[in-house]
Amino acid sequence: MFWSKTRKALRARGVMGINQRNGDYILRYNKRSLYPLVDDKLQTKQMALDAGIRVPELYGAIATEQGISTLHRVVETHRDFVIKPAQGAGGDGIMVIADRFEDYFRSASGRIVTTEELEHHISGIISGIYSLGGHRDQALIEYRVRSTELFNRISFEGVPDIRIIVLQGYPVAAMLRLPTRQSQGKANLHQGAIGVGLDLSSGVTLGGTWHNQRIERHPDTANAVAGLTVPDWEECLELAARCYDLTGLGYLGVDLVMDREFGPMMLELNARPGLNIQIAMDDGLLRRCSIIEDHLDSLGNTRRPVAERIAFSKKHFAVAGPVPVSEPDPAVTP
Amino acid sequence: MFLLLLGGGSIAYQLLVQKVPLTQDEKDPVWVVDAQVSFTARANKPIKVRMFVPPQGAGYTTLNESFISNNYGVNVNVEKGNRQVTWSARRAEGNQYLYYRLMLTPRFAETRENEPGPQFRPAPVLDGAEKLAAEALLQPIRQHSADVETFIGETIKRVNELENDNVQLLLGGDVSPENRAQVVDLLLAMSHIPAQPVHTLRLVESQEQQPELWLRTYNGKRWLYFNPLDGQQGLPDDRLVWWSGSESLLNIEGGRSANMTLSVHRNEMSALQLARSLRLQDASSFIDFSLYELPLPSQQLFRILMMIPVGVLLVLLIRSLVGMETLGTFTPVLIALAFRETQVIWGVLLFTFITAIGLSVRSYLEHLKLQLLARLSIVLTFVVILMAVISLLGYKLGVSSGLSVALFPMVILTMVIERVSIVWEERGGTQSLKVALGTLVAAVLCHLLMVWPPLVYFVFTFPGVLLCMSAVMVLMGHYRGYRLTELLRFRAMVER
Repeated sequence: MFWSKTRKALRARGVMGINQRNGDYILRYNKRSLYPLVDDKLQTKQMALDAGIRVPELYGAIATEQGISTLHRVVETHRDFVIKPAQGAGGDGIMVIADRFEDYFRSASGRIVTTEELEHHISGIISGIYSLGGHRDQALIEYRVRSTELFNRISFEGVPDIRIIVLQGYPVAAMLRLPTRQSQGKANLHQGAIGVGLDLSSGVTLGGTWHNQRIERHPDTANAVAGLTVPDWEECLELAARCYDLTGLGYLGVDLVMDREFGPMMLELNARPGLNIQIAMDDGLLRRCSIIEDHLDSLGNTRRPVAERIAFSKKHFAVAGPVPVSEPDPAVTP
Repeated sequence: MFLLLLGGGSIAYQLLVQKVPLTQDEKDPVWVVDAQVSFTARANKPIKVRMFVPPQGAGYTTLNESFISNNYGVNVNVEKGNRQVTWSARRAEGNQYLYYRLMLTPRFAETRENEPGPQFRPAPVLDGAEKLAAEALLQPIRQHSADVETFIGETIKRVNELENDNVQLLLGGDVSPENRAQVVDLLLAMSHIPAQPVHTLRLVESQEQQPELWLRTYNGKRWLYFNPLDGQQGLPDDRLVWWSGSESLLNIEGGRSANMTLSVHRNEMSALQLARSLRLQDASSFIDFSLYELPLPSQQLFRILMMIPVGVLLVLLIRSLVGMETLGTFTPVLIALAFRETQVIWGVLLFTFITAIGLSVRSYLEHLKLQLLARLSIVLTFVVILMAVISLLGYKLGVSSGLSVALFPMVILTMVIERVSIVWEERGGTQSLKVALGTLVAAVLCHLLMVWPPLVYFVFTFPGVLLCMSAVMVLMGHYRGYRLTELLRFRAMVER
């Protein structure tokens, strides 16, 4: 009784289930042969660079145990950097070095790290501790993204990122993912990060979701998550929409980060984006995807320029939500 | 769809045409008919005993037929649809006993035989009073009947009106069933309708039984049976046609004071056993072209193998309908297979215990910062040590029965530990416990389903089920609805 009622209600809201996502979207739009493009961050980065999409600068990649000795040469010229596995999942194996101290390094959380520890970490990445299925992997050393002031206020450690789901080049849904104390600085919803829905037309934050529940405030900083405006929103949408032309994957999750100096950058792509974004947006993905699909059918499935696609998405997925507040109440800042 | 039809068709064929028993415990009645002939031999005379025995394939399958006698030659010959056994001996003395035993079953039987009979016969010549009486009787019968069937029915009714003068004349004072049948036969012969007396046996539990007389006639398509006493038409299902014609059942040359008893017993036999024993006689039994044809060790193996798709289907349902998370699709099925060797309860305990210990070993190894392969090897080694310790402890404590730890469960356990710990690292402790629990529950369910004897029998006997199941799997592949857990997950979106 309860089940059938809930099911009907979810259907009515156009909520997408896992079976449907797998069968009707991932299987239909994402060719299996294209997966390595997004599963290997090195390939993704290379491709994005060729296409002129902004990504965090790659300082170097280490693929062999012998290569570890080249580490000092790679990081010599940089005070801060990030080490991450090329095929990692869920933000595992990422080490963020924020500063140097004599011969030591200091991690983002303030811990002192020796060169040996750093080398051991890279060795672990190469032997495949963090990669899915335990394959050998590469360690990437790249530019450390510094979060903007605005985002620092509503996140705990780490860097928030923006997840935009793109169907056939049309942005469909977007959310801001905020790390929490529980997620240990990772922006992954499974690990306890917060998802905050974004109004596609303006980049204004809506309500949030944490552990499948709806929330209004960040649990660590107690700041309200709604009503903020993501800067350079136009650029974010464009980056996301272009990733479709880049990879050819029709159903894509694009992860962007907002850098203090360089603005939005494409961090990674996901061929099987999760469904929690629906709770964050408080809207069904199926409903939105059907609008895009109907539109494409009426166009005869011709590929439209990026600007036109974004205009369509902004027009149809605008949420008459809370009015953007230009200056958030400073009283709640801790 | 096609798969479903094919699978369903094959099951239906096996069930309806080959009459394969649906469950292992299905029982069939087996009728044991015993005939005992006793007589006193005349000294110095050759002995020849002839007895009718039931024709084969008349509505029943013969399981076993035996003629038991001392120092007698046995010969069976078929004549005009009857079978007759002849016991013969050069000489014998004193009381002689001959036994005949027949075992019958209604399963796997072909329909009653349909050999055509005559449709016309010349009328006998009668004279005097008998002719008048017969004609007087036939007059109203003709008026009251429309065809052969009703004619015979009407005739039998008239002949059984014993106070009728004409009937009394024809019967001549003898009102035995045989004589009445004879009079009916006579009247029918006057009208050129062929009729044949048949002797039948009732298949009911009985100590002593006399064959019952019926009349039958051939109407061009099939035989019609009539009871000469009350005109009842149609042979009841429990009747076995023993022989036809007016000869007597037993015929003895060279013996006297013959006596004969017929008794019927009912036994039960498992249908499967029946099929096996029939196969020895009849090569067309369903056992051919089935997995029962394989040598026994392979049969055992396939009993297990054929159940794997069942387990996989269950896991599929659990995952895509319920949304319970498990480690891969096959891991629960593999664990379920491992449970075969360890018993369920011990298996669950063992699984939980060793996985817990294995995980803690692994988390200790985390501190050593070892590489993947080395770490896996150490975990495997520890699992072996643990199992050895548990087995040893169990043996010392005298509970060795449940702990027959074999190679297969050990490998599976190691694999499970590794996969659980990967989930632990990637998605945290709560998640990995959830997944491990889901896997365990799915494995127990799979195991229970995979060793459920009626199901094992069904799948093994009707391999067409596998096609039906793959049809269900195809359907599941097209299932786009919500999973049960998703209803919970997205509940927040409905409540507002």
